[in-house]
Amino acid sequence: MSATNIDDPRVIEFDVRTDEMIINMGPQHPSTHGVLRLALRTDGEIVSDLEPHIGYLHRCAEKIGENLTARQFVPYTDRMDYLAAMNMNLGWALTIEKLLDHDVPEKGRHLRVLICEMNRIASHLVAMGTYGLDLGAFSPFLYAFRERERILDLFEKTCGARLTYSYIAPGGATADLPVGWTAECSKFINQFKKVIPEFHTLLTTNAIFIARTTGVGILSPRMAIDYGCTGPVLRGSGVYHDLRFHGEERYTELYDGYEFDVICADSETGKYPSSHQEVYKDGLEYPDVPSDAILGDCWHRFYVRMLEVVQSVRLVEQSIVKYDACSGSHGEPIKLTQKLPVGEAYLETEAPRGQMGFYVVSDGQSNPWRVRARSSCFSNLYVTAPLCRGVLLADVPAVVGSLDVVMGEIDR
Amino acid sequence: MELMAVAWAYWHQFFFIIFAGSAVGFGCGVLISQNIVRMAFYLVLSLGSTAGLFFLAGAEFVGAMQLMIYVGGTMVLLIFGVMLTAQKDFVNMKTHTHDWILATVVGGSLLMVLLFAAFGSEDWRSPQDPTDAHIVDTKAATPLGLALTGVRVDKLDDPNDKLNQGKSGYLMPFIIISVHLLVVLIGAAYMARTKKLSHATGLRSSRARLSVFKMEDEDEVLEEEKYVVLRKDKRATNPLDTNGNSTDNPDNTDED
Amino acid sequence: MAEFFNEYIFGDGPWSWLGYVIAALIACILIIHVVAVGAMGFIWLERKVAGRIQDRLGPTRVGGKFGWLQTLADGIKLIAKEDLTPDVADRFLFKIAPYVAFAASFSAFIALPFADGVVANHVNTAVFFVLAVLGLEVFGVILAGYGSGSKWSLFGAMREAAQVVSYEVPLGMCVVVPVFLCGTMNLTTIGNMQEGFITNWLVFNDPFTFVIAIVYFTCATASVNRAPFDLAEAESELVAGFHTEYSGLRWSLFFMAEYGSMFLVSGLAVILFFGGSNGPIPVGDWLANLLGGVEGSIGANLPSLGAITVGVIGVANFIFKGAIGVTVMIWIRWTFPRLRIDQVMAMCLKYCVPIAAFCFVGAVGWEVLDLPTPNNLDEKSRYEYHEKWSQEYLKTQRESVPTENDTHVQQAVPAEAIVTTVAVSQSDLDVNGGKQ
Repeated sequence: MSATNIDDPRVIEFDVRTDEMIINMGPQHPSTHGVLRLALRTDGEIVSDLEPHIGYLHRCAEKIGENLTARQFVPYTDRMDYLAAMNMNLGWALTIEKLLDHDVPEKGRHLRVLICEMNRIASHLVAMGTYGLDLGAFSPFLYAFRERERILDLFEKTCGARLTYSYIAPGGATADLPVGWTAECSKFINQFKKVIPEFHTLLTTNAIFIARTTGVGILSPRMAIDYGCTGPVLRGSGVYHDLRFHGEERYTELYDGYEFDVICADSETGKYPSSHQEVYKDGLEYPDVPSDAILGDCWHRFYVRMLEVVQSVRLVEQSIVKYDACSGSHGEPIKLTQKLPVGEAYLETEAPRGQMGFYVVSDGQSNPWRVRARSSCFSNLYVTAPLCRGVLLADVPAVVGSLDVVMGEIDR
Repeated sequence: MELMAVAWAYWHQFFFIIFAGSAVGFGCGVLISQNIVRMAFYLVLSLGSTAGLFFLAGAEFVGAMQLMIYVGGTMVLLIFGVMLTAQKDFVNMKTHTHDWILATVVGGSLLMVLLFAAFGSEDWRSPQDPTDAHIVDTKAATPLGLALTGVRVDKLDDPNDKLNQGKSGYLMPFIIISVHLLVVLIGAAYMARTKKLSHATGLRSSRARLSVFKMEDEDEVLEEEKYVVLRKDKRATNPLDTNGNSTDNPDNTDED
Repeated sequence: MAEFFNEYIFGDGPWSWLGYVIAALIACILIIHVVAVGAMGFIWLERKVAGRIQDRLGPTRVGGKFGWLQTLADGIKLIAKEDLTPDVADRFLFKIAPYVAFAASFSAFIALPFADGVVANHVNTAVFFVLAVLGLEVFGVILAGYGSGSKWSLFGAMREAAQVVSYEVPLGMCVVVPVFLCGTMNLTTIGNMQEGFITNWLVFNDPFTFVIAIVYFTCATASVNRAPFDLAEAESELVAGFHTEYSGLRWSLFFMAEYGSMFLVSGLAVILFFGGSNGPIPVGDWLANLLGGVEGSIGANLPSLGAITVGVIGVANFIFKGAIGVTVMIWIRWTFPRLRIDQVMAMCLKYCVPIAAFCFVGAVGWEVLDLPTPNNLDEKSRYEYHEKWSQEYLKTQRESVPTENDTHVQQAVPAEAIVTTVAVSQSDLDVNGGKQ
């Protein structure tokens, strides 16, 4: 069951037993999060093998990068992980700044943290809403999107776009935030904090949701590291690794002076950090880990994203204060035809779905010689195959949804 | 006008012929049809018509029981079995001539015996005027229930002293059959249990299952850089080769 | 009703059969209205309730501000769609499957009383009949899944059939509890026994019956394949399950069958547990006396104004309570995620069946030990709860046939299938003359 062209000498088709079926999930399927084709081999209800087929959304972004200047490439990064476009822009901007050895002023730094953490909230809302939809819970999807609409309205005020922003450019941002934006953002955050417990009631503590996600798709830390998983997938297995703390200096200095936690279960106690209590000054409790949940299963990955939303809320509040206290330039973007010095630069950032890396090789022209995007979801997706062996058919959307893949980033 | 009067007077016969005709007709459909799933469906309709006959006779309880047990239970089981095992070979079943002859002889002789018995019994001849038919509200459920728990309430006026105590019920067979069914259920559940496989997901099972799909001669294949298309499942969709032609022809699978 | 026609229009002569036919046709038309128009109403209700739960409005354009006629517009669209049959489908089975499902759902309404005496056919073993016919709906699903000729549809059909058949077991156990509390399977009688104040409803009889009512509702939701048990329609997993290949009118028949069944099990719950056509406060008798009494059994005279009013109020009560049950099912659907098939089966076998069995034993024990109940079922004799028309008839019977002593058990119907007169002098075989 692989590529239909029989040119590759290593293409081998497997024998199919008479009691098995080979079923395609996708590429048009409501729960494959984009154009993904999963070839499942099942005998009735139990999946014995799974093979993901990608490439349906490939748009040759990397090759196109060789013909555009650094600033012209920014819209292409938008369309990679289109649900977290600001973070993609940030990755590219930091890489080019690393190559140019260019520093962004203080105000621009806070602006970047503010915008990227807001986009992280929006991205996790989509992940959470569509995950509920995969499992048959229709309402949390709409609640998540209601909140996301407000975030998108705020983004529309900054750059005029709702999904593909091209806002954070190498050198800073294309424009400063409008007057009064931070006040509206604070208003949104205050209202959003009250809404977060609704999601916990609907999904995280719901008995049926717990029954569907605990014990399913258990990813061991060793396997996660071996497959190159990053982001909430990695932290959901208990590996304490977040690039905002452990990454390169050029990236971690973005978060200098900010207080937030890495959301990862403690390896001894199995408990999550409880600094979120400060967010809820009215004493609302976060739900405890249910007894059926095993570290590394779908529920933990989902819970990591829920808690990261709260940490992002903290970061947004702090960055609003710091941004308002700053004066100066937000960072003018570099020239459109800026020549890039000879050399190469690679930088990974912590995007909402994992570690997104950009690699630029330049030979002195304004167009790079090679552009490469290291996609986080690409490595995350391949762990589906070992995770889904021996599960029931209904667990496959649960696993794929918990990995939170976006095909635009995988196919580029 | 008179025809309609006659039709109305004989309404009971009319509906009886409809239900009985449908029962017999669909029964014949089971015999004649060649598609096994349709056979099962015709049997469903035949048994449903029998339930209709029971309702026509006023035996609501038995009619509902027929629907629930035969149609809702036995036939669902049958249809499950038929559908899950209906491979291409068995979907079309042709009855050969010698089968027809044997079936006619055996079935026909049984029919003769039954007809003799039916017409020979006094109770089964209907002496009354058929235009006097009513459907009786029999309220048969209560005496049935009581009989199953040991009290035969319909025999309380019987002259036989042993019977009119009302104690000659069917409690013992009822209990025996219940226990018997319980044993059958437990046995079926035990036989159908899943064998002890590692059902866990993730790392624990990946090693176990991977071996099932390992290709034979995999290493040799890769070393010699030859590919073998082991498409034993002919029903899989056939891909097109590079010229756009269908590789449906089995000779097209080349082995270098 | 048939006798009414025959009395006034056709006489007892050769045309009397027309009275029966017209009565039957009217009953059929009314039931079709319940199923089809009810489905239309419930689909609208579902969309509105779903919208409100999801923080949005539902349909708001067709038919005024609230979108009353949206379902009608959808129905017209569905009828106008192209009638597709897949190539690999078994044509006969593919075409007949929606009709089988719809017929099963429709037939069960024959025995469901909407009020005292307002029932299409007075079936004495109505509970059993309804359960038996409800179990036939699974055939429509199986045939649809198989007849579509695709693996996905067959998957969905098999899962659904397994689920429906498994949940018939705890459903039956839950239904038996009101039956033995009332001592009869006649749904009209069970409904009538709960007249009076709201404390007379069987759900408040004892705590075990209360739990049984909840378990019944859960099993009923599973039995009609609603979320969280709606694997067969699980859109995100199998596209649309067994009805993937159906479009247009055939698909709409499946959905009418589904909403019809939802209303049916809801109505059954209402009659068995929640008072039938009785409201929380007994206004029937008072109102009827105000309007001139309820005498005049249907068939002897024209039913009196009092009887008609009581009947209409009863029907309205029943439909209202049934609609509440359907609304609760809709509410649950849009709140919870979906269970996997093994979890559904585990829920049936490991939770519903033991709880139902335990509560059944508990309810029996409550009655045997004669523990206090808030209703007055014990005082009145069961005969007084029968349908009015049958009470009149039985009274005449009792006068004509020498009555036996109440403690002596009556003879059952003789073995002949067709008899000329009804020989039963008391309607039920009552061993001790009323409950003790």
